[in-house]
Amino acid sequence: MPILQESQAIPKNIVRIQAGIWGFVLAAFSGLMLFAMTAWLLIKGGQSVGEHLSLLGNYFPGYSVSWSGSFVGMFYGMLIGGIAGWAIGLIYNKVVDWRIRGK
Amino acid sequence: MDKTTKNNRPTVIIGAGPAGLTAGYELSKFSENAVILEADHTVGGISRTVSYRGYRFDIGGHRFFSKVPYINELWQEILPEGFLLRPRLSRIHYQGHFFDYPLKVTNALAGLGLVEALLVCFSYSKAKLLPSAEDDNFEQWIANRFGHRLYRIFFKTYTEKVWGMPCHTISADWAAQRIKNLSLREALYNAIFNNGHTRKGKLITSLIEQFHYPRLGPGMMWENCKTVLARKNSPTVFGERVTGIRHKSGFVECISSQNQAGEKTQYDGSNYVSSMSLKELILGLDPPPPDQVLQAAKSLRYRDYLTVVLVVNRENIFPDNWIYVHTPEVKLGRVQNYKNWSPEMVPDSCKTALGLEYFLWEQDEEWRWPDERLIETGIRECAQIGLIQPEEVEDGTVVRMKKAYPVYDQNYHRSLQIIRQYLARFTNLQTIGRNGLHRYNNQDHSMLTGVYAARNIMGEKHDLWSVNTEKEYHENGILQGETQSGGDRLVPVGGPPESSSLPVSALESTNAAGRQQILEEAFALLDPLALGLAVGLVCGFGLFLAGVLLLLKGGETVGPNLSLLRHFLPGFTVSWPGVFLGFVEAGVGGFVLGNIAARLRNGLMFAYAGIVRRRAEAEENPDILDKI
Repeated sequence: MPILQESQAIPKNIVRIQAGIWGFVLAAFSGLMLFAMTAWLLIKGGQSVGEHLSLLGNYFPGYSVSWSGSFVGMFYGMLIGGIAGWAIGLIYNKVVDWRIRGK
Repeated sequence: MDKTTKNNRPTVIIGAGPAGLTAGYELSKFSENAVILEADHTVGGISRTVSYRGYRFDIGGHRFFSKVPYINELWQEILPEGFLLRPRLSRIHYQGHFFDYPLKVTNALAGLGLVEALLVCFSYSKAKLLPSAEDDNFEQWIANRFGHRLYRIFFKTYTEKVWGMPCHTISADWAAQRIKNLSLREALYNAIFNNGHTRKGKLITSLIEQFHYPRLGPGMMWENCKTVLARKNSPTVFGERVTGIRHKSGFVECISSQNQAGEKTQYDGSNYVSSMSLKELILGLDPPPPDQVLQAAKSLRYRDYLTVVLVVNRENIFPDNWIYVHTPEVKLGRVQNYKNWSPEMVPDSCKTALGLEYFLWEQDEEWRWPDERLIETGIRECAQIGLIQPEEVEDGTVVRMKKAYPVYDQNYHRSLQIIRQYLARFTNLQTIGRNGLHRYNNQDHSMLTGVYAARNIMGEKHDLWSVNTEKEYHENGILQGETQSGGDRLVPVGGPPESSSLPVSALESTNAAGRQQILEEAFALLDPLALGLAVGLVCGFGLFLAGVLLLLKGGETVGPNLSLLRHFLPGFTVSWPGVFLGFVEAGVGGFVLGNIAARLRNGLMFAYAGIVRRRAEAEENPDILDKI
């Protein structure tokens, strides 16, 4: 079955993003990522641990490349990820509504 | 049942094939009498069993399996203790090799040889990667699924032998009815809720591996049915060829027939059910219909069938029920081994009866050949493909069956529409069966038209022309009041029996709406522009905010590390003009990423849908050759 026919047969609805769920997913993803990156540098060790990652302290007060900092980082990662995911969902839905109304 | 036909006149049924006898049988359940007129001297039509010196054989093989629950019940009812459960084995003979059918990859590739196998793989891969956008005739349908090379080897010659016309001219209707493309929505729904497999797919697969068969052939069932009907005062009259149908104002008044001695009889009935060919029916109408209808009837074509039966002095020749002969060097289309259908089909277990099937036009020279010449040809061709030695053949006979297959040529649809429209004016005449509807029905579907015709006489309203056009209509057990699934043409005109009509239709609409909603939600598309804009704005604003925070914080060298982004975002610096430029550049980058992500996701979803559909089609059609 050519792709053309599949695309003709599948319903043509445009998906609406649930902003809250996107926010939650991105929050979990970014929080865990920042936690894992920090923890990885700590486990790896060395003379100056996480020299560059610690620059995030400029934006996240209290964050450092340390075990306590990894939990603080997780919190900030979740916060920023959650806001970004929610914002993407919100903007996406607005644009879709706007485009459908335009049609 | 809100109407009875209690009067002195019976229903007159033309044809004692599966459709006609089933109509009579169904009427008898309502204590309605019928008289069944049969031009031949045996019952069963194309599902008859012919006996020759104790050797029994079919006109083609008739496996007894149906997806219509009511038909399965009828079979058991008419022949309660006569069925055997038989294993199915069939192969394809092509260029000296036997290939398992349904096809098995390793067996097929081994039989083809290394070079041909490689070419087949290339052709198959090409079909998968670059299928033709057209999918509406037999050649394209097969080539799109198996590749052109496999199509040429395993489908082309046999199909052309059966139908006597090039595969690319076989109407799309044929593919729609026999091959039954799946509804993508149904396939997707099954993939989501049934772990990727259709319930019916499993049922079909198991039915293909084994089947029910009357121990003395299908004729045994129809003989039994005839006897039951005779006991219920619905006799079958043999040797009566219908020659005229007298009618007036949309009402058939009587039917006249003629026997072989030339004696004419007139039958007066309350209702008339015809399974004779539409062509003969229309040409027999008195007064004749308008010229346009006559011309339409004359244009209908039928493929004829001839079987050469050989009695071979060997206990076992091959293990298959039948073999498809694709080898183009012989005209032989299929070989049946009746003993493997039922051991009781031969009177002497040391011998075997083979049925060599030829598909011809009545106008073909071979059709008129004397039996001896046909038997000689059969022996020669059978020996040519290596099945027997000529000297092993002890005896032989020939059976010719006219109008075995209604032909779906380029004109049939228009002609059928004209005839159907004309016949709709008759209030007491219905046409049923393979030739009565000019539809390539199997036995079960023909029987179903008989059931519906009888029920229509009893006051129900069923559209006989819709049988075997939409499989869901019948196969989901409408006669038992089971739930059916979706489809605009699935509901019979006037609705199913009153006991189940309301709840069924309410449930149907709920199910259909629910399925639709689920599919729409599961397979809704991401809007690439919207996702691009959303991701772009968030990225742009994120970088802008990061820059602004550093600028507000101040210091000797502001944001030396963030400024490194200039490697990716030309001109970006942590400065007031720089953050605005960064907003734009990160926004564009985010837009591109979001847009690509949405397109990738939609593309993967289409690909997934395609895989689901193909898998479901393969499940639904593992036996395409059987349907040819």
